[in-house]
Amino acid sequence: MRSTLALLALTFALPAAAQGFDPIAEVLLHPRCANCHVGDDGIPLWSTDAGGTRPHGFHVQGGESRMGIETVPCSACHTERNGTLPGSAPGAEGWALPPVEMQWAARTPAQICEQLKDPERNGGRTIAEVADHVSHDPLVLWGWDPGPGREPAPGTPEETVAAILAWADAGAPCP
Amino acid sequence: MRLTVDGTEHELDVEPDMPLLWLLRDELGLHGPKYGCGIAACGACTVHLDGLAVRACQITAEEVEGAEVTTIEGLGTPDAPHPVQQAWIEEQVAQCGYCQSGQIMQAASLLALNPAPTDAEIDAAMSGNLCRCASYPRIRAAIRRAIQSEGA
Ligand code: FES
Ligand code: FES
Repeated sequence: MRSTLALLALTFALPAAAQGFDPIAEVLLHPRCANCHVGDDGIPLWSTDAGGTRPHGFHVQGGESRMGIETVPCSACHTERNGTLPGSAPGAEGWALPPVEMQWAARTPAQICEQLKDPERNGGRTIAEVADHVSHDPLVLWGWDPGPGREPAPGTPEETVAAILAWADAGAPCP
Repeated sequence: MRLTVDGTEHELDVEPDMPLLWLLRDELGLHGPKYGCGIAACGACTVHLDGLAVRACQITAEEVEGAEVTTIEGLGTPDAPHPVQQAWIEEQVAQCGYCQSGQIMQAASLLALNPAPTDAEIDAAMSGNLCRCASYPRIRAAIRRAIQSEGA
């Protein structure tokens, strides 16, 4: 009986992968997300053809404002839509770096997992609100529609929202 | 569509996705903003949109509906140049001149947002504006001169 229950529990626990943090980390650490979720140097990253990253060209600095007000505002080049030519500037409403406490670049999935649960470091959100943010914020959604020549974030926004909610239901375990 | 350029209102019939740079140069005959790259990588096309520098090659006509655009020709006049233009003349910054309207528009925008930038901020702010004649030291000197003339 006990083993049947355990089996049932296991069956309902499927898909196991969707309850862990891994599929979420895969999205958050993807360059379309992590290249702007940078630390307090405020320097956005560019992906290179070789598969790595380098600092944003033109000596661009997000600064304390995280939107370049001290030097060149992001909006000097980034409009509310993607440039259509390869190599032109991508764009979405509200183009800016996220707050520094939301740094993901150069961090591990375990660190980001703890951050995502911490209202001090997730913009004062519950996990359900984090999921809602993923499905509604134009700048987050841009990650899946990044314009020509850029690889989109893995999966879809809906799949990421589902993964976040399933992870929350499972008690939001961290790796 | 309607937009105001250098203080003059215009009513134009253009494709919504026409880049502002095309609109200024080809439709309005304003040749101050230059074409260098078309992908936000050189700064030659820089103009002000509602007072702040933007790359005119990246903005489309539909995005500037009702907006105020200023080109180098509307920044100042020969009799009353903008302080940045005055400093540019005093430092004799231009070499061939191709990049210069973009440089001046970028510098004026920087000082509007940050009237007393540090040297590092000046360098960062101007790094998206390329100059094939390498007038960079004079650009920096002119910006510092403009800051001083404004008493910042
Ligand atoms: S032509 Fe617009 S930035 Fe080069
Ligand atoms: S003065 Fe010649 S490109 Fe700058």
